[in-house]
Amino acid sequence: MSDDGQANAERIVGALLRAGIEIAASLPDSWLSPLIERISNEPKIRHIRVTREDDGAGLCAGASLGGKRAVLVCQNAGLLLSANALAGYAHHHQLPFLVLAVYRGSYEDRFYYQMYKGLVTEPVLAALGIPFHVVDRIEDVAVVEEAAREASLARRPVVVLLRRAALLGDARAS
Amino acid sequence: MRRSVAARLMRERLHPADVVVCGLGSTARAWREQNAPHATYYASDPMGMAPGLALGLALARPDRRIVLLEGDGDLAMNLGVLITIAGAVPTNLRVAVFINDRYETGGGQPVPNAGRISYVTLAAGAGWPWTGEAHDETQAARLFAALLELPGLGLVAVHVDPEASLYPPDAGPTSQAEDRAVFQRRLSGES
Repeated sequence: MSDDGQANAERIVGALLRAGIEIAASLPDSWLSPLIERISNEPKIRHIRVTREDDGAGLCAGASLGGKRAVLVCQNAGLLLSANALAGYAHHHQLPFLVLAVYRGSYEDRFYYQMYKGLVTEPVLAALGIPFHVVDRIEDVAVVEEAAREASLARRPVVVLLRRAALLGDARAS
Repeated sequence: MRRSVAARLMRERLHPADVVVCGLGSTARAWREQNAPHATYYASDPMGMAPGLALGLALARPDRRIVLLEGDGDLAMNLGVLITIAGAVPTNLRVAVFINDRYETGGGQPVPNAGRISYVTLAAGAGWPWTGEAHDETQAARLFAALLELPGLGLVAVHVDPEASLYPPDAGPTSQAEDRAVFQRRLSGES
């Protein structure tokens, strides 16, 4: 694991803690490994591993229903899978939570099979009426904390799309 | 056994402080018809999400016992959640799955492989520490009581008769978001 990845994970988890996040649901992506490992080791966050990303959306919505702030950590493919859940919690239940999704399938990627996700993620989120923000660099990590507040005020999930550099720095791998 | 009987047997055995989460469809309607005094959140829609939502609520409120009343069609949509819940091991979550082998409110169509699915086997295979299966009123009464005496996670699969579940004549006076706010106000007031 790169030093940058660990350092960036530390800063992102710091933002989650400042945002009052106490519960996290996750499904892995290779770019997310340092972040998920750091969350798993954070005693102030209850970390639950899920089998599908929309399960994580349901879990975060339930946590919100119970008065806790929660985050779903997943790949952007998980946003596509969770379209119905995200829309339902945004517009029907109006339950807020934060989603941190790795932005696969863009200029940083090196795999054919990731590219379609990059093409459709932002248009799908826009069509669903889910606010989203793209974080290109770790220096903009404050967006994580601010998006959690936005979700709470807007009573809906808010997505932060994390570029590879924001997660892993400039190191080249996977 | 009619589903209303199963719902009544559960209501009679719940503690007043228990919080109920209902999946969608005829199970939710059976519970609504009980007019139970328990704080209840009706999780539909999205379909298939009620168990995950109940897990999140259980994690957020470890001081309260959460009882999920789920339908087999809803659970079948997302069997992976059995693994997620078993992995999380929420000690304050109990689950009853009402099995009628049909998508009742969708028109009564059979679920895939209807009549040959064992939800207790699926749950046990996913790592649930305790399961029970009830085919009649006597078994349901005994197993609901046992479920609610457990110190931790458990699931009862209860077989109920297929019977029509007609839609109400109108949508009712309050939206999901309004019901959600009322539920949260009650839950926070009871803490």
